[in-house]
Amino acid sequence: MSWSTDNRFAYNLFSEKHKVIVILLMVCFAVLSMRLFYMQIIKGNYYRNISEHQRINTTHERAFRGLIYDTNGKVIVNNIPNYVALFYPFEQQYEPTEESIEKLSKILQKDIKSSIEKSWRYGRVMKLADNLTIDEVFKIQENKLFLPGITVVEEPKRVCSSPIENAHVIGYVNELRAEELDNMENTELKVGDIIGRCGIEQSYDKYLRGKDGGLSFEVNARGQHQKTFDYEPPAIGNSLYLTIDNDLQKIAYNALRNSSSGKGAAVAIDVKTGAIKAFVSCPSYDLNKISSAKDYKRYLKNKKLPFFNRCIQALYPPGSTFKIVTFVAALEHLHFNPYKVEDCLGKFELGDRVYSCSSKAGHRKLNLISAMAYSCNVYFYILGLDLGVRVIVDYAKKFRLGEKTGIDIYSEKAGFVPTPEWKKSKMKVPWLKGDTVILSIGQGALWVTPLQMASLMATVANNGVSYKPYFVEEIKDSVTKETVFKHTPVKNEDLELDPNTWKQLHKALESAVDYGTAKRTKFKHISVAAKTGTAENPQGEDHAWVVAYAPADNPQIALAVIVENGGFGGSVSVPVAREIFKKYFNIYEEPEEELNGGTNDTH
Amino acid sequence: MTHTKSLFSKIIQNIDLTFYISIAYLLFIGITAIYSASSNLENPTKYITTQFIALSIGAVGMLFLAGFSYQYYKHFSKFVYILSCILLVSVLIFGTQHKGTKGWFDLPFFSFQPVEITKIMLILSLAAYIDKHWNEISKLSIFVKTLCLTLGHFVLIMLQPDFSSTLSYFPITLILLYVAGARLTHLCAVVLYGALAVLIPLLVTFFKLQPELLESNKLVNFFVTASTNWHKAIIILGVIILIMILIKWFLNKLRIPIGWAYPIIFLSIILAGSFSSIVVNKSLKEYQRKRLIVFLKPEIDSRGAGYNIIQSKIAIGSGKFSGKKFFKGTQTQLGFLPEQRTDFIFSVIGEEGGYVLAQLTILFYFLFIWRALVVAKHARDRFGSLVAMGIATMFAFYAIINLGMVMGLMPVTGLPLLLLSYGGSSMLSSMFAIGILISIHIRRFY
Repeated sequence: MSWSTDNRFAYNLFSEKHKVIVILLMVCFAVLSMRLFYMQIIKGNYYRNISEHQRINTTHERAFRGLIYDTNGKVIVNNIPNYVALFYPFEQQYEPTEESIEKLSKILQKDIKSSIEKSWRYGRVMKLADNLTIDEVFKIQENKLFLPGITVVEEPKRVCSSPIENAHVIGYVNELRAEELDNMENTELKVGDIIGRCGIEQSYDKYLRGKDGGLSFEVNARGQHQKTFDYEPPAIGNSLYLTIDNDLQKIAYNALRNSSSGKGAAVAIDVKTGAIKAFVSCPSYDLNKISSAKDYKRYLKNKKLPFFNRCIQALYPPGSTFKIVTFVAALEHLHFNPYKVEDCLGKFELGDRVYSCSSKAGHRKLNLISAMAYSCNVYFYILGLDLGVRVIVDYAKKFRLGEKTGIDIYSEKAGFVPTPEWKKSKMKVPWLKGDTVILSIGQGALWVTPLQMASLMATVANNGVSYKPYFVEEIKDSVTKETVFKHTPVKNEDLELDPNTWKQLHKALESAVDYGTAKRTKFKHISVAAKTGTAENPQGEDHAWVVAYAPADNPQIALAVIVENGGFGGSVSVPVAREIFKKYFNIYEEPEEELNGGTNDTH
Repeated sequence: MTHTKSLFSKIIQNIDLTFYISIAYLLFIGITAIYSASSNLENPTKYITTQFIALSIGAVGMLFLAGFSYQYYKHFSKFVYILSCILLVSVLIFGTQHKGTKGWFDLPFFSFQPVEITKIMLILSLAAYIDKHWNEISKLSIFVKTLCLTLGHFVLIMLQPDFSSTLSYFPITLILLYVAGARLTHLCAVVLYGALAVLIPLLVTFFKLQPELLESNKLVNFFVTASTNWHKAIIILGVIILIMILIKWFLNKLRIPIGWAYPIIFLSIILAGSFSSIVVNKSLKEYQRKRLIVFLKPEIDSRGAGYNIIQSKIAIGSGKFSGKKFFKGTQTQLGFLPEQRTDFIFSVIGEEGGYVLAQLTILFYFLFIWRALVVAKHARDRFGSLVAMGIATMFAFYAIINLGMVMGLMPVTGLPLLLLSYGGSSMLSSMFAIGILISIHIRRFY
């Protein structure tokens, strides 16, 4: 029936409903347009990335990390080939077949199913097993027909020549995990890349890491090879030339391991530059055996904490080695007469408390020089009370205790120098005179690292001039041998003292070797200056310290040695220091000088 | 003679440029995309040649139908309906099977899908029937009879079986009934019934694909197990009855009296819907159910049913603003994009033509349907309006479902994008439908 002949009312009803339908249509198409805008404009880059990713397949060739040399040009970290079984997805097959997994498990004599489930990603190369032996490699090649898509490739593996001694300097490497990548700003890295975990490998990772190469090619939806884009050969990372001496490392490590407790640390620094010559923490772990999770767990469970880098992470009270600071403060602040004589009766009374000396019988009459040589506590208690806590703290800070040395590896501890304010806020009790007394001999809440003490000793040896300690002398391009980076010594702020103060201090430290507590570092042709220390340890045996530098007349090297729970500094740490000096100055077969008396306690 | 002349000049003067430009653009971009998606084949012109032939035949048919007065369809509406049924029955007897569907006549030079033509014939029959019973449309009997016309076709097509082709019948029928002034309660009852019958098996399939969700959510787990467990299903029904009694009691308190008829009808619809869902569940194959629901979360079956949606979304999204240019889209050319000449032709446009061409395509599609609706509004009589409305609804439904599908908003139903997708039968029927629209449009003044 025609609209015109029908009544107007019916047409109006129709056109109202027509309007609803037009609006409905507009809404639907607006939604579709917005969806299109969202997908192509807002999320365009996201989808473009996915489309590129599924189109381009790459074979991955891992780059070699740069080599690491010691100060004598000897290679201490190298790469060796490691055979890895990989699965390449190919046409119509995105994952290895059940039979091939079974076959491979049989050859390797371990179940690889779980690792496959973990690493499976749509159409990507996946690692089935690594660290294959040559035997296994041959067996896989023989059974190639039954292992479709599985190939063996060579990947570099890191090896260290003295893996235990150098562990804490070099540090280990392993694969980057997905959850770590989420917290990283550096987007160049990808899951599975090898990165340094501690030590030099970590702090110089970007130099050592090479550039991975490989073949990139286009694949279609069925994984068929369409065309090759390019082949980029992997590029080896830069080589590092370190300041440490591998032989000295071995000597120092053995000396520490053979000491009474077998736990401790030794740091030797070149006083003229801050170059670290020896840096060992004992016990240590084997860098070459850290790749398997089993070994890693074994080390973690070890009560002696082999992963703990005692040179920079362990905090010890400095004990009597701190007397150097008290000594300097007295001469500088009080213009103290070093020849002033005190009578040590073996104990010191303050109020109702008694502070003992290292020698129970007492050292009797001493001046400042001989008090330092014999490490008399009573003499320093008196000095400490005269100085007051603020002056001692002031001088400790001038020697840069309580601050990081700024060495070029991570996780260094700053240590701590206590102040009356700190004690008030933390312990809710005021600073007492007794606190000053024990602070003057390096006890109390005073915490230092062996590296800080070695650095302090280098400052003393150099009359207040000191340099930031460092490991890496030079970085070179591995291929062109061009220098990428060359270290220039970084001077710390000079510690300016009266020349006479330095003279007296050197004399006192030489006396300690000459007739005092550090006699066992005495050599015929080289004079050594040293200070021992026995740090009281409320948890157990005392820690044995020695800090030293040599030659006394023209210092080259300063060192700090601590034997944890070792007992007396003079008899436990000093032999370690002696071994290091012997090696450093190439002194062969020189017997230790006869000990005169030797009944003195060595503090 | 003068009469014909004045008609011709009227056509020229009142030509709807927007309508024709939209159609021209859609045909052009469709053939370009098909050509681009075939460039890797041994014979890259194979598909566009077929498409061109279909388009040419369709264009001739369109011109013929445009000149043919649509009034004849009304007079012969019974004949049109019977002929369409004969076509559908004969394809069940003489047809050949493609991909499990017995819906094709294999002729010497081409194969032909009668369902593409019968859907237009159904629109004509429905429009004629509704026009005839315009004043009684609010009666339930007329309403049900109209539905039965559709149901006849539906049953015949489901025997092939061709699930996706039947989809557009329901919106077309409902929209025609709606504009004719059918009661909203009747329409809502049908929608509720259909929704229950289809959604229950689909949601159960969806949740069964996510076992971790079932474990963590007790309520969801209860509903999913209720689909196979009588006891739980009865508990749910009991709860629904209880809620309805409470609502009735509450409304009575408010002095809004409601007879017992409504709740009983409502309940019987729910029951009928639930029982039908069992039938739907049985008739739909597992992969079909998965395809229909997986768009909500393609990742749960990324290598199976979700693959098409994921790849289509990647293709469109990666086109960004300016596209990867024709013949250079990696998703299309490397075969990541499935069904790229037929159902996913819009993804090719999105990837290679970028946002510019894809948005233009959506815009022109909208303009085309809008002008078709304008034809319905300006038609000389009710029958013309209803036919134009039915055809516009058909195009709109196909476009919305297809565009929604390729952009991950709608289920994967296998409906083509009419005028753009490759396919001779659907191209023919689309051109015929446009011819009928033109016929209605040019006869609007007398």
